[in-house]
Amino acid sequence: MSIKSKLIRMKKHLQTETNDKKESTELEKDSSSDEIPHETLSLEDSFSKLGFVPFYFDGERSYRKRVVYTYDQKRDKALLRSMTKLKDFWSSDLTTHPLSFHGKSTDRLLFFDTETTGLSTGAGNVIFLIGYARLKAEGIEVTQHLLESPSNEAAFLSGFLEDFAEDDYLVTYNGKSFDWPQVKSRHAFIRKELPKLPEFGHIDLLHSARRLWKHELPSCRLSIVEEEKLHISRENDTPGSLAPLLYFDYLHEKDPHHLAGIIKHNDQDVRSLAYLYEQIAMKIIFSSNGNTTSMEHYYIGDWFEKLGNYEWAFYHYEQSIERSSRPFSQAYYRLGLLNKKLGNKQEAIRLLSTSLHQTTFPPLEAWIELSKLAEHYEKDMEKAIYYAKEASSQLKKTKRMTQTIRKRQEANLNKRLNRLEQKFRK
Amino acid sequence: MFGKKTLAELIKELKKDSQVTHWHEIPEKEAKTVEMPHELDNRIKRALEKRSIKQLYTHQKSAYDTVMRGENVVAVTPTASGKTLCYNLPVLQKHMNHPAGRALYIFPTKALAQDQKAELNEIIDEMEVNINSYTYDGDTPANIRQVVRKAGHVVITNPDMLHAAILPHHTKWISLFENLETIVIDELHTYRGVFGSHVANVIRRLKRICAYYGSNPTFICTSATIANPEELSSELIGEPVRLIDNNGAPKGKKHFVFYNPPIVHKQLNIRKNGTKVVNELASRFLKEKIQTIVFARSRVRVEIILSHLQELVKNEINRQSIRGYRGGYLPKQRREIERSLRSGETIGVVSTNALELGVDIGQLQVCVMNGYPGSIASSWQQAGRAGRRKDESLVIMVANSSPLDQYLFQHPEFFFEGSPETARINKDNLIILVDHLKCAAYELPFHRGDTFDGVDVEEILEYLTEERVLHDNNDKWFWMNDAFPAHNISLRSAAQENVVIIDQSAVENHRVIGEMDTFSAMTLLHDEAIYLHEGTQYQVEYLDWDEKKAFVREVDVEYFTDANLAVKLKVLEIDKDKAAGMHNVQYGDVMVTAMATIFKKIKLETFENIGSGPIHLPEQELHSNGLALTFAESTFANEKDDVIEQVLMGMAHVIQHVSCVHVMCDRNDLHAVPEVKAIHSQQPTVFLYDRYPGGIGLSESVYTQINEIIRECLDFVWNCSCDGGCPSCVGVAGAGPETQVKKWVLKLLSQIATYE
Repeated sequence: MSIKSKLIRMKKHLQTETNDKKESTELEKDSSSDEIPHETLSLEDSFSKLGFVPFYFDGERSYRKRVVYTYDQKRDKALLRSMTKLKDFWSSDLTTHPLSFHGKSTDRLLFFDTETTGLSTGAGNVIFLIGYARLKAEGIEVTQHLLESPSNEAAFLSGFLEDFAEDDYLVTYNGKSFDWPQVKSRHAFIRKELPKLPEFGHIDLLHSARRLWKHELPSCRLSIVEEEKLHISRENDTPGSLAPLLYFDYLHEKDPHHLAGIIKHNDQDVRSLAYLYEQIAMKIIFSSNGNTTSMEHYYIGDWFEKLGNYEWAFYHYEQSIERSSRPFSQAYYRLGLLNKKLGNKQEAIRLLSTSLHQTTFPPLEAWIELSKLAEHYEKDMEKAIYYAKEASSQLKKTKRMTQTIRKRQEANLNKRLNRLEQKFRK
Repeated sequence: MFGKKTLAELIKELKKDSQVTHWHEIPEKEAKTVEMPHELDNRIKRALEKRSIKQLYTHQKSAYDTVMRGENVVAVTPTASGKTLCYNLPVLQKHMNHPAGRALYIFPTKALAQDQKAELNEIIDEMEVNINSYTYDGDTPANIRQVVRKAGHVVITNPDMLHAAILPHHTKWISLFENLETIVIDELHTYRGVFGSHVANVIRRLKRICAYYGSNPTFICTSATIANPEELSSELIGEPVRLIDNNGAPKGKKHFVFYNPPIVHKQLNIRKNGTKVVNELASRFLKEKIQTIVFARSRVRVEIILSHLQELVKNEINRQSIRGYRGGYLPKQRREIERSLRSGETIGVVSTNALELGVDIGQLQVCVMNGYPGSIASSWQQAGRAGRRKDESLVIMVANSSPLDQYLFQHPEFFFEGSPETARINKDNLIILVDHLKCAAYELPFHRGDTFDGVDVEEILEYLTEERVLHDNNDKWFWMNDAFPAHNISLRSAAQENVVIIDQSAVENHRVIGEMDTFSAMTLLHDEAIYLHEGTQYQVEYLDWDEKKAFVREVDVEYFTDANLAVKLKVLEIDKDKAAGMHNVQYGDVMVTAMATIFKKIKLETFENIGSGPIHLPEQELHSNGLALTFAESTFANEKDDVIEQVLMGMAHVIQHVSCVHVMCDRNDLHAVPEVKAIHSQQPTVFLYDRYPGGIGLSESVYTQINEIIRECLDFVWNCSCDGGCPSCVGVAGAGPETQVKKWVLKLLSQIATYE
């Protein structure tokens, strides 16, 4: 039996990687039905219809597109003003903050995104579209590079590397764990033909978005953040998840038109990143004039506390209380805890007590912290016991808690109570 | 306690036992040593001296010299003979000569890798040099992974990690692959059959990546005793290999005892149940707190023996001092058992062949095998678990009624003097090959004219292009699919998906207690099956076949379950055909359909059948290779169909068992099916097929040596002491005298066998 006929006979046992290719082709056909028949065009012509022009590297061809979106709308003018303010701010303050681009001009920021042939990060996953936006004087400049075929990868990547300077600063969405490692992996294949990849700054907005909105959004996918927080709604958007299949269709049929949707999607993504950066950074630094919500203030405070910027943390916790329409026990608790950490025990006790009176279910830890303070700082065992007992009775009433945590808490509280009672008896 | 008996006393007692059919004494052996190689770095010498190693055993020196000359080696070493120095020594010296060089160690399991890292690091610490050795496996934390990739001089891993995590991400491992000088493959003999065929392809991919980054590493393999270490290793790595077998390690005196249980039913030649005998023998030693290991052939058997033993010795030792050990236990549990064996807290362990491997559990004093493990090599591996370098040790093999065991007990010389089995792989099995070609294409594009370590693969690449998995462009094939192929391919099991076993005894706390491959699950985890885990009985309440989950609940019942598998066979294509005496044998492609039909409930104490029930599971299909032994039309003249069926079943029974010995495989890897009227020929036929999609070369190998195998079958059945057939030879218990299966089988066998 020939190998091929054996293969066909054994097809059932062979793993297949196929999935709904049909869907993507059909989807594309809908949007292309009113176009002129493109089979008649050469590849270069078809690409030029999409705005891409060829360039050459060592005899290999790649395609590049550059578009400038001028600052016409109100939103764009606001963007420019904010970025200037932020630049001035970072140059003197909080220079090591994860969002800081200290010492760079705003046009060195590269809002960057890639489209790939798969979601895995292995050697077989290929980047076929690199897009980035820069804030130029004349407008938002979007550059896109497209991989004509997998054999033209050196030209494709060189086009991007040439355009990319040592002091550029990347701004991505999940780029730290996906896009950039992927660029590194592709670069490794042709590292002998290309210059080294520069080391540079990198701001990953997914991390910031998660800090601020993880608790209120169903997921922090860019499309959701964009819609909920930037209020940008896209029409007829090609979802990024279709990117691999569309590229396979393009390769198979040699028709760049399959890629039109994903090119547009990527273009929109990189511009959204600029607005998203503005939105997040302004909320954090210049929130006094913005419309930052109480919960956002709270989570920004939490973030600053983790970064060790306590002054900023204080400010945002206080703002979160001020802007809250309801009593905000948790914020008082955190403020109290922060004061305790900084040695302001008296103030800590005041704030923690306030936290208790805000609601019927204050944070359990507030009781415990107060008990600790009574024991070690105020040296008032009776009071310490009282707080610990209150904690204990609240724990019994609390419903939303997993068994393991409840057990651990119970054990800790019992230990504390036993110790306190022994101390008290002495 | 008073009256405590020593091992020596117990050995004396055993010698008087009339059921001992053969007593083999292996004398102690003095060490054969040579001086350390004089060019060896002083720091290595000092570090070894601190561990009281002042000289090398002869095989260690040979391995060292050969590797330093740049040749690939395979060192064949029994348990506890210092095999790790065979590779650690050259790797360390190479590092001292060229500090930029890297080494990759491959162990079949994570546990072995952990052991070896600890041992290697002790030497490195004493050398006081900066050599980084790390394990890289599923448990390695993400932040350490980067360090391992960039700075690991010695990276210790397993084939599965290499396959799914390292090779597909080779761009993160450039410094390893550019500087890779040595690859160590430990426990080579485990890489046979399906697993070995997969691993051979992983090695092909590894070599392809090395070549891409410009390195050309030397291979050091170590293996337990098998007939063809040289052949297996060079098949596995695709290069010539030098054999090192001048073992110079010392050994204590070892007694190897064949114990055949007494006959309890004279006419039918039925012997006392082997499991009971094993329990009695093992408990004698356990009661005296002598560390003992019991090997059983199946997971169920392990659990049955475990619970009986715990009961038998409950007055003498703590129930927890006897543990079970088998596949399906979770890794953490296994590590804990291994540790407690080394420390001596655990006195007895009941294991499947999972403990044949070099997992460090220290050396025990007594080993009891419940039945012949199926291969000579495997027996010696298990026997190696008992015996320290100086002390006396005892190995008892208890026969059960199977033809294989009785054959062996008839011919102890076959065991002690015969050559051990041959380990085979078939790395060009089409399904395995295609799987790994996909992975290889994912890792690096193929150029037109490229081979896959010598195999011409253009036709397969074209097929994959048609399937739109690859893209053909500019004389290169690129991976063009959004899947990650390595994730869909498991190196370990024939069926790619495992069934997870979930214990729902505690309503609030469902927990996963183990897993099992789908083929075994059909007969072990069907609804109402009794599943045993660490001596506890569980009943399967519901097997969710689509989701691959089995929900079980703890029960306490007096029976276990045994399921029947109905198998049908269709011949697709005949590749080879030859006469076999008066009859005929063919080899080719077959389609097998298997369906679990009913299960029986069998009482634990008496092994009697106390009930049964149906199993409702979908039919499984298997496309494989097989051989058909077809009998001439005139053979059975006017016999009735049920007589013919009985005879063919007997034939199948004998041939399957003897073939397994000859091609060194598990009884489950090679199946036999009798058919009174085979579809393809309309004649009485016995089929033998490989139980893995695409075949792994077992039945082909049987086809080539059919005459030899048939002659062995004849010899064996002829020498069986029964009258008209018994479970030990033709497998038919209680067949009426009118059938005379044994006579028939002898007649058929002699019609096939030819003598020069």
